[in-house]
Amino acid sequence: MNTIQTVCPYCGCGCGLYLHVEAGRIEGTSPSKLHPVNGGSLCVKGWNAHEFVSHPDRLKFPMIREDGRLRRASWDEALDLVARKLSGIKTSYGPDSIGILSSAKCTNEENYLMMKFTRAVLGTNNIDHCARLCHSSTVGGLAAAFGSGAMTNSINEIPEAKVLFVIGSNTTEQHPMIGKHMLEAVDRGAVLIVADPRRTQIAEFAHIHIRHKCGTDVALLMGIMNVIVNEGLVDVDFVRRRTENFDAFEEILRRFPPDVVEGITGVKAHDVRRVARIYSMEKRSMLFYAMGITQHITGIDNVRACADLVMLTGHIGLPMSGLNPLRGQNNVQGACDMGALPNVFTGYQPVSDSKTRTKFERAWRRKLPGGPGLTVMEMTDSAYEGRLKGMYIMGENPLLSDPDLSHVREAMKRLEFLVVQDIFPTETAEYADVVLPASSFAEKDGTFTNTERRVQLLRKAIPPVYESRPDWEILGDLMTRMGYRMNYRGAYEIMEEIALLTPSYGGIHHHRLQEGFGLQWPCPDGNHPGTPYLHRRKFARGLGTFIPIDFVPPDEPPDREFPLLLTTGRISFHYHTGTMCRRTMVLDREEPECYLEMNPLDADRLGLKHRSMVKVTSRRGSIKVRLYVTPRIPEGSVFIPFHFKEAAANILTNPAVDPNAKIPEYKVCAVRVEPLHAPREVEKPPVVDLEDLRIT
Amino acid sequence: MKSEWVLSKDHLSYWLRQLRNERELIGPLRDGGKDILFRTVDMLHEIVLECPSSLPSPKGFLFPQYEAMFSCRGLSLSDGSDGKREISDLRDRTRRVIFGVRSCDVSAVRLLDAFCLGKLRDPYYEERRRNTFLISLVCNNPDPTCFCLGLGTGPYLEEGFDIQMTDLGDRYFVQAGSPEAVRTVRAMNFFFRKPRKVDYEDQYEVFLSSKARFRKRINLEGPRQAILSGKVGDDFWQEVTDRCFECGGCSYSCPVCTCFTVTDRINPEGIERARLWDSCMFKGFTRMAGGVLPNEKRVQRTKRWYYHKLVHYPRTTGKFGCVGCGRCAVACPGKIDMARTATKIKGLALKEEVE
Repeated sequence: MNTIQTVCPYCGCGCGLYLHVEAGRIEGTSPSKLHPVNGGSLCVKGWNAHEFVSHPDRLKFPMIREDGRLRRASWDEALDLVARKLSGIKTSYGPDSIGILSSAKCTNEENYLMMKFTRAVLGTNNIDHCARLCHSSTVGGLAAAFGSGAMTNSINEIPEAKVLFVIGSNTTEQHPMIGKHMLEAVDRGAVLIVADPRRTQIAEFAHIHIRHKCGTDVALLMGIMNVIVNEGLVDVDFVRRRTENFDAFEEILRRFPPDVVEGITGVKAHDVRRVARIYSMEKRSMLFYAMGITQHITGIDNVRACADLVMLTGHIGLPMSGLNPLRGQNNVQGACDMGALPNVFTGYQPVSDSKTRTKFERAWRRKLPGGPGLTVMEMTDSAYEGRLKGMYIMGENPLLSDPDLSHVREAMKRLEFLVVQDIFPTETAEYADVVLPASSFAEKDGTFTNTERRVQLLRKAIPPVYESRPDWEILGDLMTRMGYRMNYRGAYEIMEEIALLTPSYGGIHHHRLQEGFGLQWPCPDGNHPGTPYLHRRKFARGLGTFIPIDFVPPDEPPDREFPLLLTTGRISFHYHTGTMCRRTMVLDREEPECYLEMNPLDADRLGLKHRSMVKVTSRRGSIKVRLYVTPRIPEGSVFIPFHFKEAAANILTNPAVDPNAKIPEYKVCAVRVEPLHAPREVEKPPVVDLEDLRIT
Repeated sequence: MKSEWVLSKDHLSYWLRQLRNERELIGPLRDGGKDILFRTVDMLHEIVLECPSSLPSPKGFLFPQYEAMFSCRGLSLSDGSDGKREISDLRDRTRRVIFGVRSCDVSAVRLLDAFCLGKLRDPYYEERRRNTFLISLVCNNPDPTCFCLGLGTGPYLEEGFDIQMTDLGDRYFVQAGSPEAVRTVRAMNFFFRKPRKVDYEDQYEVFLSSKARFRKRINLEGPRQAILSGKVGDDFWQEVTDRCFECGGCSYSCPVCTCFTVTDRINPEGIERARLWDSCMFKGFTRMAGGVLPNEKRVQRTKRWYYHKLVHYPRTTGKFGCVGCGRCAVACPGKIDMARTATKIKGLALKEEVE
């Protein structure tokens, strides 16, 4: 038996694990005891991470659609077809009629190559990936405020912190290993403040649990900052030396005294004051946020509010003190770093900057486009309207992950040519003209970047199953066929090219990652030990900027027709669109069906029974789910996990997007819940008086 | 006669090399991240003789996380077998010798033997167990999480081992506990010598010093009595459960836990039936056909795990279902492992006595 050190393919924690290989098969998984993130623990998904690798559903060979059916093809045939079709679309409609979705599940090297393929070979900037749907507001919001959008601190600093403020993150379920460190901090005496409308597990440990209304985060944070300013808790020195634009910001802040905030958010003014005092008075304060902040039409404003709060109190640029967005996918940080975004190259170097463009043009020897490309949501709209003709989707499943699925489905149907490259047949692959089988995380080399910017080496444990090939090999082959010669001998050569072109990855090479547990960027040169926390002494952009923001209510508040507020999210046993976890025996058995969480008061009012089937309807569609009555969710709101294709929550969700970040508002939409079966009138059995029956 | 010998440290690698001729040699090795893992030994000098306990336990060699049981062809016509039914047994028959096992893990294997080879015999386990030979080292460097001392499952064993070796500085004291072990040593007896008085004295000293190094001294009998006498209420279990992440890590890392589930994999080349590790900490573990979950509340499952190890095991086998290896203390993200919970129960019982 051999053990291969690698990285977990599920969430952004980036836990270290070992795959146990016996005679070419993966027999088990075990956690790495000394790893700085998980330290010997794993969540249930991690413990079962090996199982889906050899699942019989794996895509086995390339397939081409002929007469409406997918048939087996050879790699040469499939790739030639893709090359011919994409070149054809490019010449007849122009390069901007092709859209590329890269993947936060693929390695940095593959994302880089995808980015190079899009920009240098196809000549368009239409590249995006699912970060649009989770943290595009972070990337945009923090880039404007600090100059860099990533977790500022490291995960292993958490136990030493004194105050943890968690807003919009169900940490113990979604980032279990970060949750583990948070519990440890609480055990050591830290104060935990959780702001979440739902009573999540982490909220059970909170000293203060704020249950504000969904979509009122800006008001809540502004209220907290208002108290900080009024009570003189501002770190004046920090604001003066390291930030700008405070005065304009303070102007708006005056509109949010705690009692006004109480009216908007439903949080007691007293609690707002308490949180403000606790958070601002301790230097070792860490602020965490996740999807609850970003997935709103005001996503970018929410993120800015968090950044403002951190700057106001000066809680940044020190160990155990900072702003920490918890990234979702295992390599979403890396995919963003690699420039799989419509407006930036690697390391967030803007495409609009002619100097940067010249650098890349010289390295790649091709003319590069300068205007920003389309985002995920814009690609769908553009395909729907017939302007986008071809798409290449690598390791993503927009037909389950995007909002308003009926619209997405129609858009996919209208495409002239769609290529899907994945490890399993996905909902999206049903509309593909060519399906290419890729290798899973256990069958290739590469690097993943976790949420704390730790670049870690992924190692090949077994050879690719059936005819599948690693994504970077497929892309290299395709680029060669399209007239751009690629001859990388391994993922390490791609990493060298990345290091050459990306200042923050400058010293990150595979040979440096072999021993130990990776490096945290920025790592500018070959001897740099990596950076555990960001913005020390100086923000990446120089001075931090206070950005004035105002409260905007959610796009679709509940009304008479759709009286309940639906919020969506994940559960601990499943992961996103379920391509991997629903093919893992234990995980799928635990939560085999979709459910709707509802408060007992609402359930009573609507006459709905626990575990009965209900129909949930929004303006865009309806799904059937099982009802789960629980006080975890506040009155007036309901919750549905979005993993299940049988009852896809995203049929209901609102495609309204943040005007800047283009992130859809997954967290708030209005729905109506009705019983699926009319409640049967049950005849009451006659009451028997037991006294009469007693034999004397 | 006593089956005890002394082996010079210089001869250890020669001996292991001889053993490797007949069996796959497994030993504790350091991986890239400096973690200790049991795996096939390529270079004998890479074996780490003094190391913290491995995670996972060597249980996986007897009861792997994913174990193919048998495969079947011919149930459908599409697998190219012309409808002829063929069932092939996929039991693992590799002969293995595992070197450097800790005493607690040997005790755990004894418990597994009692469970899997008792009235009902588990053929998959039996096959692997028969082909596996364990060489344990007396543990003279316990981890901070270890508490085998209070359970009598370590740091050294009086009986129940295949071969037990004690590090005496420049030589090993070798004890053979099974007929096969005696045969194994006798086959190469030219470099083993009979122990002298000084060897026994040194061995005794090592035992004493090893015992002195334990940081945790936990006896599970106290907590068992407390549970049996009803001093541990549901509110206590609720408090423990609040910290449960439902990761199953306690069962996966435990060298005694044996829960498994069975699944069929329908591959193009035939159907494979496999069993996978499972955990009683999951609500779906006891899901009924109608979808009813008898243990839907987490507290019921947490309580069951502890009751099984602390109450039911002693009742049926006379031994605790825990060997004090301390792996759950490492693996549990919520820090509700056996040692901590037992200490808390003890505190609870004491508090009640005072009141």
